[in-house]
Amino acid sequence: MSSDIAIRCAGLGKAYQLYARRTDRLKQVAFGSFRRFYQEYWVLRDINLEVARGECVGVVGHNGAGKTTLLQLLCGITRPTCGELEVNGRLAPILALGSGFVGDISGRENALLGGAMLGLRRAEILRRLPAIGEFAGIGPFIDQPVRLYSSGMRSRLAFSICAHADADIMLIDEALAVGDAVFRRKCLRFLEAFRRFGTLLVVSHEDDQIAAMCDRVVWVDDGRIRASGSAAEILALYREATRRDEDNGSRFRFDSAAHAPAPPGAD
Amino acid sequence: MTGTDLKSAGSTGGSRSPGRRGVRPADDSRGLLAPFILAWRFRELIVAMLRRELAERFRHTIFGWAWAVIGPLVSLAIYTIAFTGVMRLPVGSARGGTANYALSTFIGLIVFNLCAELCYRSPLLLHEHAAYIKTSIFPSETLAWTAVMRGFTYAGISLAVLLVFALAINGTLQPTALLLPLVIVPLGLMLLGLVWCLAALGAFTRDFAYLMITIVPVMMFATPVFYRISDIPETLRPLAYLNPLASAIEMARNLLIDGALPSASLYLAFLVAAFLVCRGGYAVFERYKGILVDVI
Repeated sequence: MSSDIAIRCAGLGKAYQLYARRTDRLKQVAFGSFRRFYQEYWVLRDINLEVARGECVGVVGHNGAGKTTLLQLLCGITRPTCGELEVNGRLAPILALGSGFVGDISGRENALLGGAMLGLRRAEILRRLPAIGEFAGIGPFIDQPVRLYSSGMRSRLAFSICAHADADIMLIDEALAVGDAVFRRKCLRFLEAFRRFGTLLVVSHEDDQIAAMCDRVVWVDDGRIRASGSAAEILALYREATRRDEDNGSRFRFDSAAHAPAPPGAD
Repeated sequence: MTGTDLKSAGSTGGSRSPGRRGVRPADDSRGLLAPFILAWRFRELIVAMLRRELAERFRHTIFGWAWAVIGPLVSLAIYTIAFTGVMRLPVGSARGGTANYALSTFIGLIVFNLCAELCYRSPLLLHEHAAYIKTSIFPSETLAWTAVMRGFTYAGISLAVLLVFALAINGTLQPTALLLPLVIVPLGLMLLGLVWCLAALGAFTRDFAYLMITIVPVMMFATPVFYRISDIPETLRPLAYLNPLASAIEMARNLLIDGALPSASLYLAFLVAAFLVCRGGYAVFERYKGILVDVI
């Protein structure tokens, strides 16, 4: 039964440690088992989420709501502070496209390195290199150092590497925002095909994209899941809420994740 | 203002925070052989990282890898000239002539430089690879393997220069030189443990990088690089052997210059210490691994 479930979180929470002084960090390392030298800041709390195999789930929420942290937890980049997490299948996260590239070596060598990080064998990557270059569509630039690439070319290559990683689950964080319309169409076509056998979790600020791709949408707000349901329903709710919202400093508060909204003017 | 906010968030958050249950236990981080299982599991990644680092090293130079040979050659020449012409040799080392003294010093330097480079680099190792660690599923434990293997690649080039030099001056190599890997492997294990430990601590504060810059040059004089352990007063020798680098250097000299086997008890102690340091360093790294990504 659990094999039908790609991702399952129960009561998942992540607290960052905020240190008042630099030396507290050292004290924490040395005496952490006796006392706590930091304040907790909860980025995510009480996340209960189940994603079935083959499902495509969109994640929406304003900046700082905890969307990226959620993806980071799912792929094990950072460990949850509490709760249970179960991920079945091979992950390919597209979190910050091309940020792992090394400027001085060629796109081809970067693909070898990136593939190894995704768990591919060297022989496998070598076999797929032509396909990776073809999909990225950067032509002869694949043999040039990555520092010569434009940001669009970087993200094309990065997406292409992940697309050829044989993943069961893809986590995509704003990945399609940088590519041009043609490449984006290509990516969407790929993701459409990927969904036939894989699971997809997409973070995006583009409602149309989410509405077109996702069966289900989760709205993350202040580190909690505020609503979850069919794409049309949640997107309507989210749009409604953002229309009323004003972009001011009150969005980013240290205590926001732990409490109900502070009364206005409390600061 | 922010400070008070923090405090209030912390105090209430703390009392409410759910119990820290074991979350996804790191399945293979226990067991005596965990560091090796890890290396085997991620061998492709380790090799890919190593290839990248080696390819990058001399990329923008005209002489390329020749620099890796020129460096040790020049230092070998300088030390030979300095200690034969300018300064007088320490008594014991003079046995076997100046050329062998140069050999002896060069062995000391190779081992010491290997260790020093890793000491300087380790505290910043995770910062150096922060982009990988933060944005991809990257097993950060493998960085120690990559760093140590890179260090040994350069040391290996120096060793090749040394062997050629030894062959040139003595006309032959000691047959015991074939046993050198038996010293190199435990030394590698020891350095691995050191890198894991320093990398984890260095992630929290960069002070460790400066601490290393301060103490490593001092360590050079506590390590028998320019002298041999037999040169120091007999009462102090046991103390000198407490420095694992000293043991490694002396054993390498036994094999390469003296053509003799190191004492069995010394080798055994070295072997056990190497394994303990390796496993201990790995344990330290694993203990802090969960929070490392949040602090770099």
